[in-house]
Amino acid sequence: MPAFLTSVQNLFSTSRALTRADLEPVLAKMENHLIGKNVAAEVTRDLLESVAVALEGKRIGWTSVYQHIRQALEDRLQRILLPSAGTDLLRDLQDVVRGDHRPYVMVMCGVNGVGKSTNLAKITFWLLQNRVSVLIAACDTFRSGAVEQLRTHVRNLRALVEQLGHDDVKIELFERGYGKDAAGIAKEATNYAKANGFQTVLIDTAGRMQDNEPLMRSLAKLTALNRPDKIVFVGEALVGNESIDQLTKFNTALRDFSNQADPRDIDALLLTKFDLIADKVGAAVSMTYITRRPILFVGTGQTYTDLKRINVKVVVDALLAA
Amino acid sequence: MVLNDLGRKINSALASLAHKPAIDAEALDAMLKDLCRALLEADVNVKLVGALRTNIKNLVNLDELASAPIASQRRLVQRAVFDELVRLVDPSVGATGATTDRWQPVKGKPNVIMFVGLQGSGKTTSCTKLAYYYAKKGFKTAMVCTDTFRAGAFDQLKQNATKAKIPYYGSYTETDPVQIAVDGVARFKKDKFELIIIDTSGCHVTEAELFGEMTSIADVVQPDNIIFVMDGTIGQSAEIQARNFKNAVNVGSIVMTKMDGHAKGGGAISAVAATGSPIIFIGTGEHMQDLERFDARGFISKMMGMGDIGGLVEK
Ligand SMILES: Nc1nc2c(ncn2[C@@H]2O[C@H](COP(=O)(O)OP(=O)(O)OP(=O)(O)O)[C@@H](O)[C@H]2O)c(=O)[nH]1
Ligand SMILES: Nc1nc2c(ncn2[C@@H]2O[C@H](COP(=O)(O)OP(=O)(O)OP(=O)(O)O)[C@@H](O)[C@H]2O)c(=O)[nH]1
Ligand SMILES: [Mg+2]
Ligand SMILES: [Mg+2]
Repeated sequence: MPAFLTSVQNLFSTSRALTRADLEPVLAKMENHLIGKNVAAEVTRDLLESVAVALEGKRIGWTSVYQHIRQALEDRLQRILLPSAGTDLLRDLQDVVRGDHRPYVMVMCGVNGVGKSTNLAKITFWLLQNRVSVLIAACDTFRSGAVEQLRTHVRNLRALVEQLGHDDVKIELFERGYGKDAAGIAKEATNYAKANGFQTVLIDTAGRMQDNEPLMRSLAKLTALNRPDKIVFVGEALVGNESIDQLTKFNTALRDFSNQADPRDIDALLLTKFDLIADKVGAAVSMTYITRRPILFVGTGQTYTDLKRINVKVVVDALLAA
Repeated sequence: MVLNDLGRKINSALASLAHKPAIDAEALDAMLKDLCRALLEADVNVKLVGALRTNIKNLVNLDELASAPIASQRRLVQRAVFDELVRLVDPSVGATGATTDRWQPVKGKPNVIMFVGLQGSGKTTSCTKLAYYYAKKGFKTAMVCTDTFRAGAFDQLKQNATKAKIPYYGSYTETDPVQIAVDGVARFKKDKFELIIIDTSGCHVTEAELFGEMTSIADVVQPDNIIFVMDGTIGQSAEIQARNFKNAVNVGSIVMTKMDGHAKGGGAISAVAATGSPIIFIGTGEHMQDLERFDARGFISKMMGMGDIGGLVEK
């Protein structure tokens, strides 16, 4: 039990119905605790309110108020994060490749500098290890060095594939330099992939701020024109309350700017820089709570193998630990 | 920059006092609760928010207040809030060991500046922005790329520098960042450059190798100022991250980036207390001219919309 809670535990030792007033002091401390773990303030308050509502009027025996709150919170945190434990990208991919006889198309999007390109390279490495051929589409035609960055990754990855001795898998970069229309390049790349027997197209996009309307429109154009199988939002585990605004506005933009009858949302999350945050893992909760989407992978470093599945139990324990 | 949101919340917390006939402990607590909530939503460090609450309570002597007219009661509380907010962003007010003089390059001699920070925080982009800013002010400016780690790092700096017409130094073949730093600085010093800006790889305290490269460059080159670049969207990790860098190298100033979004920079602000260094610039976009000078009092006044505060007092 966190040291800061000893003062209020065991406050109630006989059976009685819990009131708001009983819950309030523990909830207030829990609020600060979760915010300190980098859960967004709004999400923290929502969560604790639902805990309060569930516990109010409940009869408790010898266990402390804290124990009840902690248990209720743990259950909720698990429920929020759990979909992240059940994603199978390889199966989805094989279904499309074998069933529809076309490459599986995935887009990486997000704000600036979060790790879209690097983690795209890591996913590529993982796919190559699983004998899936990858075409990377260089659709960040804006940021200096973006194309060269991917070119370097492709060169490294090709060398790694050769080491693995997988001569049946291919890795290539599809690029048209800078200043061109990203949506069009993605389309061309997909056609090229289909014609040349690639099983996957991974589309790298430029970082953009969620409030930048022209850039958000161009992302919606890219997804509308290409109808990708998966739109992955790449977010940083470091981000604070801003994650809520980012995700809400990316979803709104994808919907409102797509000019389509059945617009899309973000399908999955990729949480990067998990190696930098120690136990301040709250962003994982904020992002899954807001989107109700799974965390496909977490990025845990800068090398190609630093891509992991999230361990829900470890994350929940870290959130509740002192 | 969208600070209005935080400013609005702070103002509405203060405005709650306007409807009270007198400021008593209950009214003050209610106001502080709203104020702290607004700051937490802006990512200010939990501990700093707690300290701010205590400080304001100590500054406002309710017994003394009771005898004063209500208008001056309100003014006193506002003053306390304003001063505490300024303390958050200006290390020269308060924090011990603070750098009171903001760094300024001096013409006619070589000023060597080194950028450090976490991965993707905006170092390379901000190097170019700073170079462009001072080149326009007539400084003979150059950039050195010591990032031999990140894919495409030298290309990025090269393309940025070319766009901004800033001479640069770097290498595709030399893998030792310290060597590149030494060679680059020596070359530009010889050619009488006045501002030499060193870009480094993004790193984190747990990555011994990259972190060590950063400290080695600092030790060998002895820069005149080390600028810590912090992403304005960072949450509760900000303080510890900033402290890690401060413990490794002599951070002198902070640049807070990505303030063109919706972020309020509360996390990055927390870095001020952790390093005792002032924020000198904020980044407000991806283009080389998207850099603004930062001034703590101006920042807070603007954030609180001081005009509105004036109005509140008169009510
Ligand atoms: N420690 C750590 N660093 C990471 C991780 N993922 C990415 N990075 C680093 O973060 C920095 C930015 O990564 P990029 O992949 O270029 O980010 P991006 O989102 O493509 O950036 P833009 O295209 O400029 O918006 C690089 O230095 C990466 O090496 C991670 O999981 N852990
Ligand atoms: N919108 C916005 N984007 C910014 C700002 N500053 C930097 N960026 C973007 O953030 C991303 C990362 O910036 P970089 O300059 O590459 O960051 P870095 O710290 O050098 O990254 P590493 O070298 O990988 O550690 C790029 O897409 C930049 O264009 C800013 O003030 N506003
Ligand atoms: Mg990128
Ligand atoms: Mg860089």
